[in-house]
Amino acid sequence: MSGLAHFLEDEGLSTVVVALVREHVVKMSAPRALWVPFEMGRPFATPNDVELQQRVLKAALALLDEPGSTPLLKDFSEEASNLQGELNWTFPGKLDTDSVIAEVSSILPIWHKAQQRSGRSTFGISGLSAEAAVEYIERYLSPKPMPNPKGMAPVSRARFAIDDIKLFYFEAALANDGKPSSFQLNEWFWKQTLAGKMILDFQDAARLGDDKNLQLIADSLVPPERTYEYL
Amino acid sequence: MVRLADVPEPERSYIAELECLPYAHHPFTQAVAPELRHVAIVSSAGLIVRGQRPMLANDTGYRALSADVASNDILCSHVSINFDRSGFLQDINVMLPRDRLNELEAEGSIAKAADTHYAFMGATHPDELEDKAREVGRSMLALGVNTVVLAPV
Repeated sequence: MSGLAHFLEDEGLSTVVVALVREHVVKMSAPRALWVPFEMGRPFATPNDVELQQRVLKAALALLDEPGSTPLLKDFSEEASNLQGELNWTFPGKLDTDSVIAEVSSILPIWHKAQQRSGRSTFGISGLSAEAAVEYIERYLSPKPMPNPKGMAPVSRARFAIDDIKLFYFEAALANDGKPSSFQLNEWFWKQTLAGKMILDFQDAARLGDDKNLQLIADSLVPPERTYEYL
Repeated sequence: MVRLADVPEPERSYIAELECLPYAHHPFTQAVAPELRHVAIVSSAGLIVRGQRPMLANDTGYRALSADVASNDILCSHVSINFDRSGFLQDINVMLPRDRLNELEAEGSIAKAADTHYAFMGATHPDELEDKAREVGRSMLALGVNTVVLAPV
């Protein structure tokens, strides 16, 4: 994004980068940048913490008023809220099925409840239903893979199907107004669900296979700390 | 997910030491006064409107995200697993703080929150994005935008 800042400044726009990786803005000399000490993927801190998000945005825009030369880099000193999550958080349902498809079926009403509560879903990028996404992954490396609908290469469909499966589970996990941390959500998904195990198995199989494109995405299917933990 | 400082090695060093070419030329545009600011957000999260083609690895395109697209219809297609998505699924403002920007407009801290925000695919070499970045810049200027908040993930 520091590179984009250079191009946009050159076109006549004033820019400020809200940076999660300090090293990158230093190396690329972003014209103005606010480094924030938050999780990767959360440049504006904590979901639904309106006041903290406002303070981040105002601190970033305040850099535009700083006199002096660029590059200008400042650090935002506040930590994100709810880093520890909710004490003793558990998934709002019981998972005791013997297949991923059955697990998805048992979660579906909880996921619907979550949608009604939040009014929002980020599920759907693969174009498959949750059940179809699971079937697509389960059969992907089999002799009879599921037909790939038009509009996306099979390997891309697999990658986005896995994204959708994870989103489906994560959204359901938030159905009861709980406030788990991202760590708690990941712990639960990768260690306690059949879907998590299915993706880990898929990753192993993809790494051993001949499909170079699939091998490329295989390493990006599991968060790094999980990858090392399970290897 | 974790902060970069907490990412285990070798992933942490890989991210921190990614090739970042220094720019010899340092263009700089003087900021206008706060009350004149017309502000847009640019995200690197590969955000798309539901139904659009997802952005793929090293995608050099971009998506325009009209401010009136419902949060329910903005999806994340970034290729990297190195960042947390659970924040985004709870609150779009974690990645694209458009509601916060609207609040700044309402309280008079800025002149206007842009009617359109933009998304690129992160982890794409910036030089590959130059043409489209400049295209987006010119589109913003044509819409009256003078200030950009860039939000990498």
